[in-house]
Amino acid sequence: MSSSKLKTDVQEGTVRHEDTTAGPSTDPVLNQRLKAPRKGNPLPWQLVSALLAVVLIAVLWAGRSYQQPTAGVTAGISKSVSIGFRLAPANLDIRNQSGAALDQALIGNVYEGLVSRDQTNRVMPSLANSWEISEDATTYTFHLNPNLTFSNGDKLDAEDVAWSINQLMEHHYHDADQLQNFQSVKAIDKDHVQLQLTAPYANILWVLTGRAGLVFDRKAQYDPKTQAVGSGPYTVESFTPNSSLVLKANTRYWGRQHRAKTETLHLRYFADDNAAVNALKSQDIQVLAPITANLAAPFTKDTEHYSVHSGAGSDKYVLAFNNKGSKTSDMRVRQAIRYAINHQDLIDSRGGVDQPMGGPIPSVDPGYRDITNLYPHNPERAKRLMAQVGYTPDKPLTLRLTYPNTYGTELGDQLRSQLKPIGINLQLQVVEFSTWMQDVYTNHNYDLSLVDHSESHDFSQWTNPNYYYGYDSKVVRDLYAKAMAARKAEDTDHYLAQAAQQVSQDAPADWLFNYRITTVTLTGLRGFPLNLNQTLLNAWKISYSPDKPKTSGPAARALYDRPKWRSSDHATFLQYTIAG
Amino acid sequence: MWSTVEGRFALSILLVWVFMAVLSLVWTPQPLWATDGQQVWQKPSHNHWLGTDGTGADVFSWLMAGSATNLLICLLTVACAAALGILLIAATVSRSALVANTSIVLVDALISIPTVLIALILAVPLGASVVVIVLACGLGYGLNLARVARPQALLAARSDYVIAAQVSGASAGRILVSHILPNIMPVVAVQLSLSAGSSVLAESGLTYLGVGVSSGVPSWGHSLATSVKLINVYPLTALWPGLLVTLVVLSLNLFGDSIGDAIDPQSNSALREAA
Repeated sequence: MSSSKLKTDVQEGTVRHEDTTAGPSTDPVLNQRLKAPRKGNPLPWQLVSALLAVVLIAVLWAGRSYQQPTAGVTAGISKSVSIGFRLAPANLDIRNQSGAALDQALIGNVYEGLVSRDQTNRVMPSLANSWEISEDATTYTFHLNPNLTFSNGDKLDAEDVAWSINQLMEHHYHDADQLQNFQSVKAIDKDHVQLQLTAPYANILWVLTGRAGLVFDRKAQYDPKTQAVGSGPYTVESFTPNSSLVLKANTRYWGRQHRAKTETLHLRYFADDNAAVNALKSQDIQVLAPITANLAAPFTKDTEHYSVHSGAGSDKYVLAFNNKGSKTSDMRVRQAIRYAINHQDLIDSRGGVDQPMGGPIPSVDPGYRDITNLYPHNPERAKRLMAQVGYTPDKPLTLRLTYPNTYGTELGDQLRSQLKPIGINLQLQVVEFSTWMQDVYTNHNYDLSLVDHSESHDFSQWTNPNYYYGYDSKVVRDLYAKAMAARKAEDTDHYLAQAAQQVSQDAPADWLFNYRITTVTLTGLRGFPLNLNQTLLNAWKISYSPDKPKTSGPAARALYDRPKWRSSDHATFLQYTIAG
Repeated sequence: MWSTVEGRFALSILLVWVFMAVLSLVWTPQPLWATDGQQVWQKPSHNHWLGTDGTGADVFSWLMAGSATNLLICLLTVACAAALGILLIAATVSRSALVANTSIVLVDALISIPTVLIALILAVPLGASVVVIVLACGLGYGLNLARVARPQALLAARSDYVIAAQVSGASAGRILVSHILPNIMPVVAVQLSLSAGSSVLAESGLTYLGVGVSSGVPSWGHSLATSVKLINVYPLTALWPGLLVTLVVLSLNLFGDSIGDAIDPQSNSALREAA
């Protein structure tokens, strides 16, 4: 049976094979199984086309209306402003989570402290409208503003303040260690708080402007990682980790002066520089800070639509010498390096924005003096010093510079080039930040190190002989102790300046420059803080009126802008800086 | 090789490369370490033929000096890959079933690890250096070579003349050198020239990631990494190293094709007639 079937198949197959158009296969069985194709148009094309057109129009319309919020303007002032930043907070738990992005977004905006800071890093009233300091400078009495409330409607009183600081010390929340010489804090009555120190500490008020002084609602229940209940002019509307944070004006805000000018603030975080620049170009965001000055170049030219600003900051690019190292313990070598470095050249290559530093204190901190004349650029003198130690360009001293890869390779290449003529062969070791922490910071295994010390008020690192610098000076320690014990701000400033001068003379490090923050805004954006805006962003005064001609902070521009503006490379510096 | 257009093109580019690499050891148009803060990101000019980079150094001089580093990496990688690959081929066609099977499993397992991952792991103890690139690429490409050339090697190893050689008492090493290797030479040559091209690409990629050539050593990857951040503003500076890498990789691949054609009796009619 099977053989006869095979035969017919073969015969039929032969027949079909002659008629090639009869079916797609040469196998007639398969061809028989095929369904006959439907006659006529299988799809109603007209209907499909019409539907597609409708969908397309709907999508375009939706896209257009989606863009509306950023351009949506009521009475000339936009209801929302989008701000582009680099570093995103991982969560909103400001008591436990480290990172400057949290300070930037929340302090002064969502949470408020007893005291606050202004754009020049000076202490200003906040929840407390005034305070008294005892004769021995160990007792601080704060007078709170009347009728303080949290954004949830709870009253804010002295008990909340004392509770917040006590919790900080008890649970060792972030920055608890900054509250030095702390003894106790208590509410005297509902409007007065008393802070007791074991010994005077001149930085205490400044410390209270940061995380250590923030006041939390002791009755509120919320998840601090995604929500926030504070007393500030803004509340947290929504938070997407590593992406965006939306702040909404606090309708119950207790104060008048810091009332939010813009209803909604979108803080958007860009991991990629080019993505951030594209967002600014398409006006998805109205501000971008910080931007590398090289990337800002196209915006500088387009003055009709953009303003480019530079603001002061406390970032110090410290080229540290291992003061206990075998090669750099000789002061002449350290001095030679300081004389050999052409700071202006480094700054110019970065766009001429950053500021030269002669010592450890930046311009926004107490004790700042211009001491750049201590070690002026003098390669001849550097050469003589190296010759005294026994090294010449033909017989150079080999030193290793270890620094984190976030600062790019340019600075290392430039330093190598500048030190070569004086008889130093600089070997560059660009490493992961974690390697730097391990080798340099922890194990002190290095000759030269380069890192950005971003913190303000961090002079104490020069008084710690066990810090990675290995710098030990009794004179400096005594001067610093005097500065911290002083009751008057002028005295603190005076002693700190003396201490800074002494540190600089001893040449335990070279300060390459004081980094300045570059911010680009759209024309019509006003009130954006330019100084220190990576750690402190008083957002209440930000507003945007796109129709107005360019008026964004003329006074601020006059203060902070420099005529020349080209380059600077700076990416994720805050992430990779360390606390003093 | 010279008879085809591709071969001529590839050979000329490679000769220029070698010449530039050797020349850069004694001379560059500008000193490498002449950085100048006032002269950064300059356009091409009389003094700086391809402009200057972010430190004010001459891009052409750095690319020239980089060609020496890249040539060194390329040669070392190929040597590493060849040594490892031939060793593995010998193992996989071994008459001992244990050695053959173990080595096949080993090759298959290791070949699944990406070269970049190997480099990242090696960079932990070694730091960023040429050694990392050479070891990672040498390992990756060596495994690849073994995998690709094994079938042909196996054919040769089981052929009658090898059996005849064995019977007449030839040692394993002698059989490998005089019978198996000549048979797989076309495949090996093509694979190695592809590896050479890949090593140039890998150098750029790994240096960009910070695990390749250490800072302060000129290489094409270094030039690319320092300029690519600002490709939107100064596109030319990133273009030159990119163009160079593309050109060289293309040449190495074409070179591989040509060399394959030239020494493979199946595709080269002259060789066939001679045989």
